[in-house]
Amino acid sequence: MSDQKITIEFNDRVVRQFLLASVIWGAVGMLVGVLVAAQLNFWQLNFSTPWLTWGRLRPLHTNAVIFALVGNMMFAGVYYSTQRLVRARLASDFLSALHFWGWQLIIVAAAITLPLGLTRGKEYAELIWPINIAVTLIWVVFAVNFFWTLARRREPSLYVAIWFYIATIVTVAMLYIVNHLSIPTSLTHSYPVFGGVQDALVQWWYGHNAVAFFLTTPILGIMYYFLPKAAERPVYSYRLSVIHFWSLVFVYIWAGPHHLLNTALPGWLQTLGMTFSLMLWAPSWGGMLNGLLTLRGAWDRMRSDPVLKFFAAAVTFYGMATFEGPLLSIKSVSALAHYTDWIIGHVHVGTLGWNGFMAAGMTYWLVPRLWNRPLHSTSLANLHFWIGIVGILLYVAAMWTSGITQGVMLNATVEHGTVLAYPNFLDTLNTIRPMMLMRVIGGGLYLAGWFLMGYNLWRTIRGAQPVNGTIEVFADEAPPPVEKLTLVGAFFSPPVIYSILGVGCASAWMFGGDLLSIAGMFGLMCCVVLAYVHFEARSGKWADWYDRLLVNSMPFTILTFLAVAAGGLIQIIPTVVAHQAANVEDRRQVPYTPLELAGRDLYVREGCYLCHSQMIRTLVPDVLRYGDYSRLGESIYDHPFQWGSKRNGPDLARVGGKYPNIWHFRHMEDPRSISVGSNMPNYPWLLANALDTGTLPAKLAVQRTLGVPYPNWTPEQITARVDAQAGEIAQDLRTAGASVAPDREIVALIAYLQTLGHSENLGPVKAAAR
Amino acid sequence: MFQRLIYEDSAALFTVAAFVTAASIYTTIGWRALRMKRPQVERFADLPFVTSTPPARHDTDSDHAA
Repeated sequence: MSDQKITIEFNDRVVRQFLLASVIWGAVGMLVGVLVAAQLNFWQLNFSTPWLTWGRLRPLHTNAVIFALVGNMMFAGVYYSTQRLVRARLASDFLSALHFWGWQLIIVAAAITLPLGLTRGKEYAELIWPINIAVTLIWVVFAVNFFWTLARRREPSLYVAIWFYIATIVTVAMLYIVNHLSIPTSLTHSYPVFGGVQDALVQWWYGHNAVAFFLTTPILGIMYYFLPKAAERPVYSYRLSVIHFWSLVFVYIWAGPHHLLNTALPGWLQTLGMTFSLMLWAPSWGGMLNGLLTLRGAWDRMRSDPVLKFFAAAVTFYGMATFEGPLLSIKSVSALAHYTDWIIGHVHVGTLGWNGFMAAGMTYWLVPRLWNRPLHSTSLANLHFWIGIVGILLYVAAMWTSGITQGVMLNATVEHGTVLAYPNFLDTLNTIRPMMLMRVIGGGLYLAGWFLMGYNLWRTIRGAQPVNGTIEVFADEAPPPVEKLTLVGAFFSPPVIYSILGVGCASAWMFGGDLLSIAGMFGLMCCVVLAYVHFEARSGKWADWYDRLLVNSMPFTILTFLAVAAGGLIQIIPTVVAHQAANVEDRRQVPYTPLELAGRDLYVREGCYLCHSQMIRTLVPDVLRYGDYSRLGESIYDHPFQWGSKRNGPDLARVGGKYPNIWHFRHMEDPRSISVGSNMPNYPWLLANALDTGTLPAKLAVQRTLGVPYPNWTPEQITARVDAQAGEIAQDLRTAGASVAPDREIVALIAYLQTLGHSENLGPVKAAAR
Repeated sequence: MFQRLIYEDSAALFTVAAFVTAASIYTTIGWRALRMKRPQVERFADLPFVTSTPPARHDTDSDHAA
């Protein structure tokens, strides 16, 4: 090797771009968040305008914060740290630029389509199918750029932060693609391929692990890089970080069903979700303590260093959120907390405290280095920290109080548990109003802090010269030789073979029939014994395989993918195979009429599912309040499912036939004319807009493809059915004193609402076969 | 093959299976991590410091007037 050295310049331009985008989009996302929180207090802020309505803006808030704020921040942190950890410039400037601009275009497209009501109707997966394809393509660009850079690295070992990034890239790709599988009915509309309980499981497998692998694992990678850098000392325990990584990767993916406790989701899935969630306590707290203890010896600097303040608080909030998450996953705690503001408080501990503060800390650390100028004002940064922390505490304390109040009031009974103590849903709403106002103030303070950061950064950057980091390397420096691990060698190794055999036998034991189950049980026992014996005899071979895995990125990536895929497959495949309409017992959904289907699409368009669940849980207060508990088969044809996750208003699973048509008409026109004190927006445009029935033939064709048993109607037959049902409803409304043309959207929505809860009774004979 | 999921309440079995799975992962990874040699651990932990970073010194600089 020659002595001549060359200087490699890192691509920090793309880091600066993502960093600034994160700050700007973060401000937009949080501004919308404060607005939607205010709308819950003051319904007038919906302005009776479609694109400013709560149900359309709330997805904009969540998508902006998740994919724009955290997404851009994540890309900035990943690109900055990866280049330095592997001692190589990003592989392609073109791919880096394409990644940045492609991601920003996706965000702009989301900001336009969501207020227009173009949505898939699944939380955090609302974006329409053309944008889904764009997200997938840009994610592939990110992955290629990242792995290409790893392939050109000069540092053979992969630091734990890189492990977290790898897990993020492969897992998010898997989650996103599976949960967004849809069949288009037009350029802007599609139906998900999964329906009912299957869609619920896939959605929360995605939803929970979007939190895990988009909002947590990349930020943990960032923590493991930036926290030691800011504290100027190595991570407290590298060993603990290894345990943290593998435990999260193996365990997190199983926990999704805890979002569906006490619902019609099969019991075995609820149990799996709850148990694995509890298992997450240990690795999460291990990671939190590892982060905090990295600050040992640097605590005194926290008095003056805003970066360390933000990081210390962020890691503390990570600990709080990951304590609260498993707690909320206990079935009996979920009975109190689910559908209430407690969940909203929990989510914001994670996003405002963990993600937001990590973003702020990383930004304050990076900006002076990327623009080669000291921060304009350290005092302003410290002020940002204190305003932000007061904001978070006000917000989450208000939401915890509000959520527990809601849970207690809605579940309260008298007369030995036979009568609801607060039968009117609005009683709870009016009780929690002060807390809802406190939430606006807390969120507003946090946003004010964010604006302070924006001002501080602008003053810092203005007139400054951007600089790119550099390193010197030998001109002909080749990566140090590593012990290669081929793909074949990675798979045909004792740990992988015994793991696959073990999982296969365990699956046969749990899911198989009599003989298969017994064979699976014995197979699993044999597998464990054989693995132990082999390990005792050849432990060196096992250790050698693991050590080589740590310096071979491709086998590491594939095995990480298999680890996360296993949890999803074992939950999703049995559900998709077993819980089909043909196997349903007790009750089965009757397919919607064409008019009802059109009404349902309006329900999805307006985001009604964000405030109203359609799932009466197997809990006495739920049954007393809303009627008989929901059966799995009653939503089996729902593409997408509409079980909901929050009750700002009452459950609607059995609202059909509960009120006359005119009640719904007046209620949608002006909710307060029917329910005094309601905070629901007015929907005057539903009374004015003509229903689009031209798309119904395509929609029904797709529904048929998905397995919903619709006859092969001609467009004329569809129109005739729509006209007949709409005419009946319009005539009934006219009789009750409301004049409306039968072709208005409100008529279709009423048709849909009036059919909720109606199902085919399969009788007790089949059920008795249990 | 999956018929039992519909007819049987296997909650207890799944709780045990979940616990055994997670516990075996913790044990295996914990053992593997503890067996890492000290030089190997120190080398990994020092990787963020292999590439030097220019200082920013929030803690010592007074407010900077633009």
